[in-house]
Amino acid sequence: MLLVVGGRVCAGDIEATVTAPSGEPLADAAVVLEPVSGSMPERHSTVTIAQRDRELVPYVTVVQTNTPIEFPNQDPFKHHLYSFSPTKTFEIKLYAGKPAKPVVFDKPGEVALGCNIHDWMEAYVYVVDSPYFAKTDANGHARITDVPAGSYRLKWWHPRQKRAVSARAIEIGAAPMSVTQVLDVKPRVIKPKPPADKEKY
Amino acid sequence: MFRSLQRRIVVVFVGLLVLVMALMLALVTRSNARIVSTEIQRELTAGMQVFTQLIEQNQRQLETAATVLAADFAFREAIATQDRPTIRSVIRNHGLRIGAQAMMVIHPDGYLIASSQDSNEPSGSALSPFADLLSAAETAGKSSGFRQMRDGRLYQIVLVPIYAPKLIAWVAIGFVVDDRWAHDLSEVTGLVVSVVHRGGTGAGILASSLRDAKRTELSAAVKEISSDMPGELHIGNEHYQTVHVPLGKETFVALQRSVEQAEAPFQTLQTALWVIVLAGVVVFAIGSIMLARQIVRPVNELAGAARRIEAGDYAEPVPLKSSDEIGQLAASFDLMRERVANREQKILKLAYEDSLTGLPNRTRFIEEFNRLSDSSHGAVVVMNLDRFAPINSALGHPVGDRLLAEIGLRLGSFQSGSNLVGRLWGDEFVFLLRDADRAAATRFAESLAGALRDPFVLDGQRLDVGASLGVALYPGDGRDAATLLRRAELAMYAAKQLHSSVAFAAEAGDEPPHEQLSLIGEMREAMARQEFLLYYQPKLDLASGQVTAVEALIRWRHPQRGMVPPGRFIPFAEKTGFIRELTPWVLETVVAQLARWREVGINLVPAVNLSALDLLNPRLIDHMRRLIGSHSLAGGALCLEITESALMEDPELALAHLNELAALGLKLSIDDYGVGQASLAYLQTLPVHELKIDGSFIRAVATTPKNAAIVRSTIGMCHALGLTVVGECAETADEIAWLVANKCDLAQGYGIAKPLPAEEIPGWLAGYGARQRHQA
Ligand SMILES: [Cu+2]
Repeated sequence: MLLVVGGRVCAGDIEATVTAPSGEPLADAAVVLEPVSGSMPERHSTVTIAQRDRELVPYVTVVQTNTPIEFPNQDPFKHHLYSFSPTKTFEIKLYAGKPAKPVVFDKPGEVALGCNIHDWMEAYVYVVDSPYFAKTDANGHARITDVPAGSYRLKWWHPRQKRAVSARAIEIGAAPMSVTQVLDVKPRVIKPKPPADKEKY
Repeated sequence: MFRSLQRRIVVVFVGLLVLVMALMLALVTRSNARIVSTEIQRELTAGMQVFTQLIEQNQRQLETAATVLAADFAFREAIATQDRPTIRSVIRNHGLRIGAQAMMVIHPDGYLIASSQDSNEPSGSALSPFADLLSAAETAGKSSGFRQMRDGRLYQIVLVPIYAPKLIAWVAIGFVVDDRWAHDLSEVTGLVVSVVHRGGTGAGILASSLRDAKRTELSAAVKEISSDMPGELHIGNEHYQTVHVPLGKETFVALQRSVEQAEAPFQTLQTALWVIVLAGVVVFAIGSIMLARQIVRPVNELAGAARRIEAGDYAEPVPLKSSDEIGQLAASFDLMRERVANREQKILKLAYEDSLTGLPNRTRFIEEFNRLSDSSHGAVVVMNLDRFAPINSALGHPVGDRLLAEIGLRLGSFQSGSNLVGRLWGDEFVFLLRDADRAAATRFAESLAGALRDPFVLDGQRLDVGASLGVALYPGDGRDAATLLRRAELAMYAAKQLHSSVAFAAEAGDEPPHEQLSLIGEMREAMARQEFLLYYQPKLDLASGQVTAVEALIRWRHPQRGMVPPGRFIPFAEKTGFIRELTPWVLETVVAQLARWREVGINLVPAVNLSALDLLNPRLIDHMRRLIGSHSLAGGALCLEITESALMEDPELALAHLNELAALGLKLSIDDYGVGQASLAYLQTLPVHELKIDGSFIRAVATTPKNAAIVRSTIGMCHALGLTVVGECAETADEIAWLVANKCDLAQGYGIAKPLPAEEIPGWLAGYGARQRHQA
């Protein structure tokens, strides 16, 4: 997902690379540039986290504060979505299809999502006060484009990170920049998932 | 001995049984011990497997319970929202539901969020009591183990994560490990289950299926073993085979099997076996004692019978009770007893009875005599028949034996309460007259002579039998049978010589010993002093009327006693061996005399008497050979006269010597024929040339027809055998005439000439020749 924000003049691109301490590229890491001052555009297009084939997809979602997220159920059976995270505590009890209204994530922070029916289902939402963010792909690369020149705080996050990485200041100019970061994460706990039966539930 | 036979039977039987039983017991005991040991090992191994499985099963159940709790939505919500009162109430409720004694909720960072055990809220910094389990769970997703908690008790704990959906906490569920736990496991495994904690301060029991005193003893015993050295453990007086199962650090479970309990069934079996063995041995011992008694009793009875027979009691029959081998033995034994008894009677008869006459024999006589008391007195009479040998020779042994039997029959009438009649040997009889004195003995002798006076008739032939008797009185003449018999015999011979019917030992012989000794000493001196001299009695050749031979007779001219007759010293010379010196002297003297007569033209064949001792003396033959050689004597120039009794002492040696003497050319003559036992048949086998009939026969030939017949037949038989016959003691003209008429070759006696000194012989010969011519 790529968000293009900012003016046409004096806007720059940031190329970010995240690796594990072993040097391997790390996917699903969030890279966020928070403007130190001034206003920033708020665009709240609805984001979707689907429930498909007894999984929450995608695994990691980064959104700006106040972004509504829809949780359509594409499986032929019900799910019971919940979050006990203080950032956004909610519960969508047994439902099928698309819920009536999306959930608005109105506070910055991380939210862990799970299904009370299927223990292995999990997804993470990182809510940030900035429209300038990106998520690393399988190669550990992420790109933030059209960032207006100015002073920013560069933040890194990963749902299984062992320690929070402190934000650092960064100046964005016209020239494209590239940043790298090493994150130490725990291995993903593979919770047992029974094979889907013929009836698909 | 029989006692020991019985004992041997019992000992062998019972001993064998005991041996077999002991071997069996040893075998059973050994194999039992092996079985018990193997069984205990097997039980321990099986028990350990069951125990381990139970522990794992418990752990899985706990895990399931914990997982169920961890999945509870409300519980997760309470934890995620840090709602501690709710959390505490959930875990308490859940703990009750599943019977867990300990439940805790632990933050992923390691501090306690809530615990069912602590009533007061734990502070945020209180760390969980099992950080190691937590770190293990972080790696493996979950963990379990046995841990001692703050209350000092041991718990089996499982630790599972709580996801919402990321890890928000750990839930720990613990079951307490206590005596009940140990007891339950003990029931399932069949083993004693004890949980032992071994810390720095020592070992202690955390839980055990043992109770009370046993448990106390175990905690004492457990201090002495090391966890990695299982084996036998003594608890009180019981032995336990032990294996260990570790329950985490410093804690292990001891699984134990009581050796005594495992042995118990075998002990029962062994006790039963012992009872059977002991009872068997006792029964067997009693049985074999009874059997041995049954065997031994009849054997003992046989032994008793054997002892009775050994002691000479044949009267009581051997007991016959059974028909088995011993019964057969007893029957044979009884038969043997009867036969031995019969045989003994026969032997006794033979031993004490003379078979010919049926009278008691010499042995019986001696036994009867020995039965007399020392103070008793009486007489021993020995009777010898006169002229029995010629009768035997002339009429044959069967007739002689019948005669003896007849005589025995007649003498048997003298047998009475106080008198014993017996036959000594041959024609010699003996009488024991108890309480008889000299007068009574004389009367007895007279009646005996009277009894024999009637002639015996055998096959129509009348036989006159005379007898000579010798009487020895006891205790005067001797105290023992041998002495009395000898003295009575001597007296009998004296009577024969004196031609009287009875002689008493007191007068007849056996000079007192001191006189004999002095006589022997004197004989040697007499030899040196030349007191011995020879007389010669002529022998008349009846056919030619010429004197052709003489018999040399020794005389002793004693300086004090005067002429001593030969009967008084020759027996002692024979007894002492002095005769060996005397005879050579006689021979030397006779040969010298022979030479002197030859010088004056007298040709006589001199005869010298040889005693038994001389005849048996081998040196005499050498002496004789030298004598013949040195004087160049021709064959038949010298005659030797030998009595029958001298021949009888050692007939074999006598015969050998006679043969040698005959070979030297000596003429041999049998003296006094008819007195002794020798038969003509026997004498015929000897190399003799002449036979001299005893004077007792000759004395009565002219008047007694019986004597005449015997002498006549003897002469006839001698001639038939090629022997010349000499009639001794021819005293009267009638007798000489009878001898001439009956073809007797030679005669000797007072009727011809008495013994004369050598120097008188030539004169006598001249005078005799003149007288004969004158008569003719
Ligand atoms: Cu679901």
